[in-house]
Amino acid sequence: MNLPNGSEILIESLLRQNVKVLFGVPGGVLLPFYDALYKGDLRHLLVRHEQAAAFAADGYARVTGQPGVCVGTSGPGATNLITGLASAFMDSIPVVALTGQVSAEVIGKDAFQEGDTIGISMPATKFSFAARSAAAIPGVIRQAFEIAVSGRPGPVLVDLPKSVLIERAPVDYDAEPLGAQPERRPEWRESDVERAAEMILKSRRAVFYVGGGAIASGAAEELRKLAELTGIPVTTTLMGLGAFPSRHPLSLGMLGMHGSYATNQSICHADLLVAIGARFDDRVTGRVKDFASGAKKIQIDVDPSEVNKNVRVDFPLVGDARETLRALIEAVEDRLGRGKGVLPGERREWLDQIEAWRAEHPLAYDREAACVKPQYLIEAISEQAEEDAIISVDVGQHQMWAAQFYRFSQPRTWLSSSGLGSMGYGFPAAMGAQVAFPDRQVIAIVGDGGFQMTLPDLATVSENGIPVKIVVVNNGSLGMVRQWQHMFFENHYCDVHLGRVPDFMKLAEAYGIRSTKVERRADLKDSLADFLGSREPRLLDVSVDPDENVFPIVPPGGSLAEMLVGPPVPAGEK
Amino acid sequence: MLLKEIMMEWLVALEAQNNPIVLGRLLNAFRRKGVEIKTLTLGTRTAELSLMALVDSPEESVEHILHFLRVMVGVRDVACYRHEPSGKASFIFIETDDHSSVAKILAGFPLSKLVFASQGRYLVEVGEKGCKAVDGALDSIADFLPFARVRTCSTPTQAANPPEA
Repeated sequence: MNLPNGSEILIESLLRQNVKVLFGVPGGVLLPFYDALYKGDLRHLLVRHEQAAAFAADGYARVTGQPGVCVGTSGPGATNLITGLASAFMDSIPVVALTGQVSAEVIGKDAFQEGDTIGISMPATKFSFAARSAAAIPGVIRQAFEIAVSGRPGPVLVDLPKSVLIERAPVDYDAEPLGAQPERRPEWRESDVERAAEMILKSRRAVFYVGGGAIASGAAEELRKLAELTGIPVTTTLMGLGAFPSRHPLSLGMLGMHGSYATNQSICHADLLVAIGARFDDRVTGRVKDFASGAKKIQIDVDPSEVNKNVRVDFPLVGDARETLRALIEAVEDRLGRGKGVLPGERREWLDQIEAWRAEHPLAYDREAACVKPQYLIEAISEQAEEDAIISVDVGQHQMWAAQFYRFSQPRTWLSSSGLGSMGYGFPAAMGAQVAFPDRQVIAIVGDGGFQMTLPDLATVSENGIPVKIVVVNNGSLGMVRQWQHMFFENHYCDVHLGRVPDFMKLAEAYGIRSTKVERRADLKDSLADFLGSREPRLLDVSVDPDENVFPIVPPGGSLAEMLVGPPVPAGEK
Repeated sequence: MLLKEIMMEWLVALEAQNNPIVLGRLLNAFRRKGVEIKTLTLGTRTAELSLMALVDSPEESVEHILHFLRVMVGVRDVACYRHEPSGKASFIFIETDDHSSVAKILAGFPLSKLVFASQGRYLVEVGEKGCKAVDGALDSIADFLPFARVRTCSTPTQAANPPEA
């Protein structure tokens, strides 16, 4: 009997996990695997750098909720994946990385392209596997996928020595059930949920503070129902954008360092904060001791190690967000049915106060400027993009403007390296999302700095006809760093101006991609309509006001109450 | 020194899958969370690994570290014991080369139970009353530290037990 080799077993194992596509770059020790791919039915997308493979897998996972899979060879291929895995780890995104390794008999002997991939990946993944035999591959792959999606999702790495990939072995794929659903057992009791419901219904100035965990668990519908049932407004973190519709009357938008004045004021004056799949990140809290200091805090999180990690909470509910919210809705409905608690209408005073704060300091910019203000660009994209368009951003000023000014209506439409904050994420993540949904509009909004870290993958989208729309928010600098040097380092601009910004149109042309440049506000909307209406990869290079800064901003080390709502007014103009 | 004043001595004992990757990740977690290891003892069986560490860590970090360890893939049970010199202890940690001293305790206190034993380090449950009695009797037997169990956690999910690859 002709037994399958490890590479063939690997491919069959991946297919049994419903894997549709791999993002990767081949290399020496992976040749047996690529030989099996050549003969098999599994799609592989050749990217131009392994970091892009990891980010593309991340983007794929964020929009589908299923693990994205990336591939890199031993040594440099594996190390190049690490940034993408670290980003997925910080944002709890299920990614499975397959790395080649030198043959088992030479591991530890400094063979060509040998690297300690397991050791390097440990702090950047939820778990790392070293496959030791071809027969073990089905079990390893099954476990890797289960771990990636179970509990708090995250990346898992499987290291595959060449000797394992060529070894022939009998295999039993069906030894255990495949594709088991994640087990998320709540640690709360019914009485805990009832107590939380009581706290919620007793509050007068409550806020739901929602993070990426709500999206990971698919809790958007439950969140909306609970908010409407109680009349409590909802703020989201950067990771939580899309969990609650931006246009909903109870939406407060984003909170934290670049949150709106009204949102941060509501946190400062709240009497109850209900954190749902959010981790009290320092960009959210500002000075921790002053964060929502007048509020009781309930924390709903699937990961018990998040409870009391950064901020002490009064009442934790450890469990999956959707499951916990469902129980909460039931308890709230029951109490309201018995006439207990504050009715939604009785929170009108609180909502009016928030509205007054919003009127006092709305998110604003110079709407009359002749140049293209970056906020105007984002608003224009938001107006013209399709309802289910997927927005992928890099890291920096444009990311914050997109978070502030884009109107999200549904979950899994916002891709951002939020925790790790990795520049170079936006374009390859968009590529992964577009591969998952070839017919949806996928728009990469990137800065001219971050985009230059990912240029080679223009070849990937061009060659494969992946119709990603790339908007370069071009201000000629590393804008967020420039802003901080301006505001907090006495204008000591050090290596933030990208003097030789390339001609992105010529670059796009070199890769066979159509492009347009916009320099005047008056030209933007028409160019955008043509750009977004296309069914091919396109690039739009928009020159924006190079001096624009992101406001509001909470100065480093400050509390939310100390936020600056706009540029400091010169002394003579006060 | 203020930092020293808020540090506390505690014991963490855990059961995990006997897999060098699990062990490597555990030790890396101690490093990353800034836990100062004073003694570390490992016991291994075919599929299981037992780890007991006497560590220094700020009291406010203990809960987080406990939960951080217990959600790690491959970890099954975690128990955390706080140094409790005030007489409310029910566990004693003994470090000795003289096995007979531990045997004497176990023989002298019928309700006592050996929780962990490896490489000259022992954790014995003696109960609160037992601990007080041991306190008087142990001077002649061995040096020991009294502890109170703060928390135990189990992770029964299938995903917590990666296969031997």
